[in-house]
Amino acid sequence: MEVAAAKLIGAGLAMVGTIGAGIGIGMLVNGAVQGIARNPDASGDVQTNMILGIAFTEAVAIYCLVVALLILFVG
Amino acid sequence: METPPKKWRYGINRWIILFLVILNIFFVYYVYYPVLPHIQLPAENVSEMPLFGNFYLTNTMVATIIADVILILIAFSVSRAVRSGELIPRGIAGAIEAILEVINNLTESTAGKWAKSIFPFFATITLLVLIVNWMELIPGVDSIGRLEHSDHGYPIEEVIPGSNIYTILSERDAGEHDAHDGGYGLVPFVRVASTDLNFTVALALISVLMTQVIGVRALGATYFTKFINVGGIFKRPVFGVIDFGVGILELVSEFSKLLSFSFRLFGNIFAGSVLLFVIGTLIPVFVQSMFLGLEFFVGLIQAVVFGMLTMVFMAQATQGHGEHHDEEHAEEAAA
Repeated sequence: MEVAAAKLIGAGLAMVGTIGAGIGIGMLVNGAVQGIARNPDASGDVQTNMILGIAFTEAVAIYCLVVALLILFVG
Repeated sequence: METPPKKWRYGINRWIILFLVILNIFFVYYVYYPVLPHIQLPAENVSEMPLFGNFYLTNTMVATIIADVILILIAFSVSRAVRSGELIPRGIAGAIEAILEVINNLTESTAGKWAKSIFPFFATITLLVLIVNWMELIPGVDSIGRLEHSDHGYPIEEVIPGSNIYTILSERDAGEHDAHDGGYGLVPFVRVASTDLNFTVALALISVLMTQVIGVRALGATYFTKFINVGGIFKRPVFGVIDFGVGILELVSEFSKLLSFSFRLFGNIFAGSVLLFVIGTLIPVFVQSMFLGLEFFVGLIQAVVFGMLTMVFMAQATQGHGEHHDEEHAEEAAA
């Protein structure tokens, strides 16, 4: 029973790492939207780079998620 | 030449949807209540017998084969539409043409003259991952399969007596059907391929390896000076060593690309399907539809991101370090 409880707590703690990714994506989109508002002609390029940046940032959050899933469902 | 604004009409579609919602509520509360499936990471075997030797056909392999068949059928129908000589493609051919045009424009604006050899990877990966991800939304995937004895299983019941088709009962419906023989779990015949790490790691390996191949084709042996940069160590002592360290970091980042490619796709889609399972059992009526809409977009975005990152890395590999600097200086001089 203690192992099961420790697993749940561990999975929850692993997801704390997503805080950073959330802040990062917020800052990224903030910059991109300001850029588009000042120069709407460049919106295509800005959007492409924004999605790439979000993908990189999100990867960190996904690592946390994968670790949490591994703790929960493996072994 | 103005088209008149469309009149608000009571079509038949909304009545069909209303009927389906009522049917859903009736089914969930009076017939069978959904059961949370046993969630596990590795793919399950479709049959108890191996195909040959020690090789089992897993349910994610079945999903990959189905996606391949769909892609091949689309390819045949598009090629027939192209050969028929009509200038304006219709139906599926038109949709595929629109998608490929967007992908081609994006590749050309990023990769320039190497677009021709990079475009196939971008398009193939995007289309395959897109179809595989969207399979998650089809009813029957993850829910039709064979029964297997398991310790944490549920009791079962024949749907129509004598038909040999069984359904798994939830705790609410179980009632007098107590689990006299341990209960059964479900092994689905088709499970979304992106929820298997083998699929995503294979795609990531193809992507990263072909990035190196395209880099070597574009720059020859000088491509490897990006990783092992000893050229400047003796000429410029301090910055040469820094360049060498940067090269080592580039080498490490190639391997971390593998990790991030495979875990990004796997994590997103696996978490999405777990989310759908849990929501489907918590609130079985209507709410899951919204999450299906969410998963629709997640699948699309992940497919595009996988393809686009492959394309961007390949485009970066075709540009050498020195060449890039020279171009910048030339632009400054021109300005």
